[in-house]
Amino acid sequence: MPVILLAARALAAFNAPVLAVGRGIAIVLMALMVLVILAQIFFRFVIGDALNWTEEAARFMMLWVAGVAAPTAYRRGGFVAIDMVVLMMPRIIGSLLTLFLLFLALIVLVVGVQIGWGEVTGFGGRFATAALKYPTDLGFETWVKVPRSWMMASLLVGVTSMAIVNVELILRAIATMAGREADLPVIPESASVGAE
Amino acid sequence: MLVWFLPLFLLFLMVGLPVFFGLLAAPGIMLWLNGQEKDITLLYRNVYNGMDSFPLMAIPFFMLAGEMMNRGGITMRLVEFSQACVGHFKGGLAQVNILSSMLFAGLSGSAVADTSALGSMLIPAMEKEGYKRKFAAAVTAASSVIGPIIPPSGIMIIYAYVMGESVAALFLAGIVPGVLVGVGLMAVTRYLAKNGEYPPSRPRASWGEKGQASLKAFFPLLTPVIILGGILGGVMTPTEASAAAVAYAMIVSMFILRSMTLKDLPDVLLKAALTASVVLLLVGAAMAFKTVVSLSHAPEALAEFILTLSNNPLVLLLLINLLLFIVGMFLDAGPAIIILGPILAPIFISLGVHPVHFAVVMSVNLTVGLATPPMGLVLFVASSVSGEKVETIARAILPFLAVEIAVIFLITYLPQISMTVPWLTGHIACTEGATYMQCISPEPIPR
Repeated sequence: MPVILLAARALAAFNAPVLAVGRGIAIVLMALMVLVILAQIFFRFVIGDALNWTEEAARFMMLWVAGVAAPTAYRRGGFVAIDMVVLMMPRIIGSLLTLFLLFLALIVLVVGVQIGWGEVTGFGGRFATAALKYPTDLGFETWVKVPRSWMMASLLVGVTSMAIVNVELILRAIATMAGREADLPVIPESASVGAE
Repeated sequence: MLVWFLPLFLLFLMVGLPVFFGLLAAPGIMLWLNGQEKDITLLYRNVYNGMDSFPLMAIPFFMLAGEMMNRGGITMRLVEFSQACVGHFKGGLAQVNILSSMLFAGLSGSAVADTSALGSMLIPAMEKEGYKRKFAAAVTAASSVIGPIIPPSGIMIIYAYVMGESVAALFLAGIVPGVLVGVGLMAVTRYLAKNGEYPPSRPRASWGEKGQASLKAFFPLLTPVIILGGILGGVMTPTEASAAAVAYAMIVSMFILRSMTLKDLPDVLLKAALTASVVLLLVGAAMAFKTVVSLSHAPEALAEFILTLSNNPLVLLLLINLLLFIVGMFLDAGPAIIILGPILAPIFISLGVHPVHFAVVMSVNLTVGLATPPMGLVLFVASSVSGEKVETIARAILPFLAVEIAVIFLITYLPQISMTVPWLTGHIACTEGATYMQCISPEPIPR
């Protein structure tokens, strides 16, 4: 058990600051998304010249918001699930079931990481986005289209971070089963979020 | 064999696997067992493509606008306005609670936000005035379901995206059912107040007080006008309207009412980001799930089974309402729509139910499910806000649920209730020369 506790604490020490950085990025991207869409409305109706990159830029940012914020939501128990059966079962069976489900989720995430890596580095990632460009020199004279792989990497980053969070959750579940919950670092807040 | 992914998915769901993982694990396992490993890559691609959507952006934006309004003290102004309008009715503060929910629904579109924002303010106030706490919590939970029915609505955006419907048409179709639920709840409250031991009503507000409350609530109440006006006028897409609502909420909260500061912004943005991330992953997984649903021919098999029960659409609608109601007891509205929409909608559309009509029936039914035990999300929120037990609120909410069920049946069997507004505004596609009834209730598609 000391090894499990040590590993759980080490992963918590890794996840907490990494996910905090993700949350910071998500906050900035959310604000930028609003600004970009407002710019789209402004240019179309006030200036009379519709911008062709705003929609794609906003989608780019939204995908990254999902990629960097979802691991926090997952770690805080924010993914919708029906936990009635687990709660109704005797403690030990409920804990075993939770562990099984976490392993199942880990398999999904690991397969996701594998496929995601192949997608980002493969054929699909070699295409460029339709309208997004970035400068290649400090004088902003040469602009190159943003590769699609930059956009696709958002989901890869998301599933990878969630896989690491998932391993932490598995270790926490094992420690909880052994009655060592009090020795685990506290994960703040625990509320599911959704469109309801 | 592929069709077995549906029972497997249900099993995963029942034992507590998060919906996101269930939507991917069940079809993934069946594809693997079927020797279709290459199609698992297709699942991943569809998750990504499903998330890469401009219309979905409206969900976090509407949430952001609602959260800003709430932080900015706008909820308080809506309550004061409702107080001036209906505070003198029988069951005064309960009526205020319901009207406030209807007004709040035009700003946020979230039942959870409604319950926590209005509940934290009105439940203690109602208790102080002599209402039982369980009653106050029940009224708050029951009226909060109006949030996702009256536009804007997060779950209707999800439905529109997953099923390829018009967001504007769904928004418009939700207006009358939402108002109907509100009016019904007010009528029940009046009846209960007449026959119960509720505190006496407050004196009627003077015209001066009404005017003052209206002035204070003027800017917040303009939000739905901007949203719907922008969308219906063809000026903005729903996503653009939602971004405009964010800007408007920020201007009102920070510069007009000066009740929110820059310091509050990161927290508000983070809340919206977390919600967006979960909803996006869920919708992405649903789009992947939908692909396997089509590949497996499960809807056809299910349709055959359903049609063996009855050929009469009215009977089938009754059965489907029962099914949705039961599902709503255990599952939140968003995931339920994501899972069941692609399976059930094609069956009923082929039976002559208009896609928008079915969308509204499904959305309202599953939204009411948010307030039903044992797993109703808003019951839990109302419990945490009020400190009352979930089972106590679940008992107190029964008379209100009866009204909401009655509204579900009304909108199911009278499509005119939901379909007239979108029809009048030209948001229902009709064939040339079609009458009103032919338009809102088309002929069944021959099988």
